[in-house]
Amino acid sequence: MSGRLTSRSPRTPFRPGRLRAAALGTALATVLVPALSACGGDASTAGGSSTLKWASSYFPAHWDPVVSGSGAQFRELALVYASLTRTDATGKAVPDLAKSWEYNAKGDQITFHLRPNLKFSDGEPVDGAAVKAAIVRAQKQKNSALFGDLTSIKSVDASGLDAVLHLSQVDYQIPQLLGERVLQIASPKAAQSPTKLDQNPVGAGPFTVTQIVPGTKVLLKKNPDYWDAKDIHIDNVELTSAPDAATVVSGLQTGVYNFADIAPSQAEAAKKAGLDVFVQPGFNAANLSLNVNKAPFNNDKVVDAVRYGINRQEFVDKLTFGYGSATNQPFPKGYVAYDPQSANDYAYDPAKAKQLLSEAGYKAGQIKLSLVIPAEDPQAEIVQAQLAKVGITVSIKVDKNWATPFFAKDLTFSLYGTTGRDSAAQTLTAHFGPNGPLNLSSPYEPSGFEAAIAKVRQTPLDSPDYTKVLQAATRAGLQSKALVFTYSSPNLIAKSKSISALPRNPAHIDWTGVTIDSN
Amino acid sequence: MVRRVLSLTSGRIALVILTVIALLAVLGPLIAPDNPLATSSDTLAEASGAHWLGTDYLGRDVLSRLLDGSRVSVLGSLEVALTALGVGAIPGILSVYFGRVFEWVTLRLTDTLVALPFLLFAVAVVALLGNGITQAMLVTGVLVSPLFYRVSRAATLAVAQSPYVEAALISGASIGWVVRRHVWVKVLPPIAVALAQTIGVGFVIVSTLTFLGIGVQPPAPTWGGLLASDLGYLTQKPWAPLVPALLIMVTVWACNLFADAIRDVSGEAGRALVNNRKARANRLADTDSAAHGDPAHVHAGGA
Repeated sequence: MSGRLTSRSPRTPFRPGRLRAAALGTALATVLVPALSACGGDASTAGGSSTLKWASSYFPAHWDPVVSGSGAQFRELALVYASLTRTDATGKAVPDLAKSWEYNAKGDQITFHLRPNLKFSDGEPVDGAAVKAAIVRAQKQKNSALFGDLTSIKSVDASGLDAVLHLSQVDYQIPQLLGERVLQIASPKAAQSPTKLDQNPVGAGPFTVTQIVPGTKVLLKKNPDYWDAKDIHIDNVELTSAPDAATVVSGLQTGVYNFADIAPSQAEAAKKAGLDVFVQPGFNAANLSLNVNKAPFNNDKVVDAVRYGINRQEFVDKLTFGYGSATNQPFPKGYVAYDPQSANDYAYDPAKAKQLLSEAGYKAGQIKLSLVIPAEDPQAEIVQAQLAKVGITVSIKVDKNWATPFFAKDLTFSLYGTTGRDSAAQTLTAHFGPNGPLNLSSPYEPSGFEAAIAKVRQTPLDSPDYTKVLQAATRAGLQSKALVFTYSSPNLIAKSKSISALPRNPAHIDWTGVTIDSN
Repeated sequence: MVRRVLSLTSGRIALVILTVIALLAVLGPLIAPDNPLATSSDTLAEASGAHWLGTDYLGRDVLSRLLDGSRVSVLGSLEVALTALGVGAIPGILSVYFGRVFEWVTLRLTDTLVALPFLLFAVAVVALLGNGITQAMLVTGVLVSPLFYRVSRAATLAVAQSPYVEAALISGASIGWVVRRHVWVKVLPPIAVALAQTIGVGFVIVSTLTFLGIGVQPPAPTWGGLLASDLGYLTQKPWAPLVPALLIMVTVWACNLFADAIRDVSGEAGRALVNNRKARANRLADTDSAAHGDPAHVHAGGA
């Protein structure tokens, strides 16, 4: 622009100094304007639209919810897909696509009533048939990661906006179960080609996908047909696979992102950078997975030695930077399913661990274990050091293909960290059930667990006995010799101050009512 | 040649650094002040009398881990260099004498190896054969070997066409004798340069692989692994990555400096350079002693 002014003004003589200044100005403008635009934190909102720029550590590899499963990446998929229910700040199931539901008197049939006039982003109606198709697909699709979660559902009848679920047992957990984690509902038309759906998601959630770069980035825009679109105040979303943990805070500072899940070690840096650090309540719990079908864990005394040899507080002190807490259960303290009666079971006692090993006939150093993990993890090094103190030698083996032998129950000793489930019964069965995916010792299950979990299913969630029954099931599950729980750490999210506070839904990111200040 | 290298300041500096690194590799685990694997409650501690370089995220002594980790880096880089030397230099020399078929085959093999990205290939081999630095470095050595093949072949070709070698062959000398007597002497200096450079490259490769967590199982310490883990705690200890990074940089720099020194003193030009330097140094010494003996000069210098 400056070049044009100087060259076209007939009254302005060409003076070399002014020409140089103009040229310099033009060059600086050419270089700096795009650069500063790219770096500016509010560039995305300059046009009056609000953009969420989310650096995600759980960037989905699969966009078909049936394939993606009920792991932590459900939060990213929930941008696109809605579910029958969702959870509120107390963790209780509340309406989402279903406006209401009711059980029959016996408790083995539940009818969901869907909201009227809803459609998927491809124009297909959201109705009972779509719900039925989603459940059947989750139960039968060859690569489904959800079939184990839906064993209570025998069949589904669809009638207009109603979906009637016939259950194989009395199960009052179904509204908790069919939330964002387990039954995100895709368009049945799009789901006819699961391979295509896996990279081109079509749901009825708050956003629709405009572009996907597999494994790297996804661009989304607000879905005007979402049932609660009036409460979604974000126009666009740029979901990016998070870079190295150490650089996420820099990305937030420079405006490359305005929202990111961060490691506890980065929380202090985020605070110093003037970012909001949101401590999201959740159900995360880490554990040591033991296979009691293989030596030496087929000896109960060796299992108990490991249980007593683990100092949980060391995990908290070294890994959570003040945000975590020790737990010997698959839940953090304070959660409804956390059993206070079991809180002090297997407290750290290295002397007792040594004694148990001796009673089992093992001398110090005689037991040599291979701890197989998917990636380098300080937890493994802590386990190695702690068990070395009681006389068990652990070598750490990083196996990039860890998932295959772990879920095939071929490993002897490993680590796992659950992000929990909305249904506490589902969390318990996943860990302690005979076919639980997180039970490395399948088909082993602790005695009394099956009866205890059946009682949980049979107890309505609003029953005064529910907490007592649920904690009893936890207590029964904790008799399992296959798992040693260590610590719990909440999800930490760093965000720009331009993003308003998030609802404190446990483990969920709820965008309802969230605003991004365009100024 | 060693004497000539030591006549250069750069050669002396490089040799001192490399000797220190070699000693660390041999004695590091013995002189480490603490057990490099022993954790403590004192995590991410700053440098102190008890821990000269502080502690890491599990409370382990960083100095002890650096000292203990030097062996992996040194042995890994030597493995790369020696493998490349063995696989590259011998076929390179023999390709000149073993006929057209051998020459064609080895040249095509070399072209193929050059086309493979060695870092990615090393990662793939580790994925295939299991996580171990030995196999990763062995494969990397093979992939780096074309450097030695080409250097040795070029030097051998130059010697092979010289009149005295042709005369020796016409006189009935065997190829083996010619190689031992005439070729090896000429080929050795460029190979030595390539070897020193490759050791430096080996350090970079070992550090890169261990930085990525490839080749060594935790909690075994390595320079690359320490660098990677330190980067995760920049807020708590911003200076921590500097130590392993500097160690890697200085070692690689010393290897390159040593290679330059060998190149400078090798061949006729190198001999001339060293002789000229000696002569110049002698002249300066003579001038200096003469000047010191002159009272007027002393007076002027003291003004």
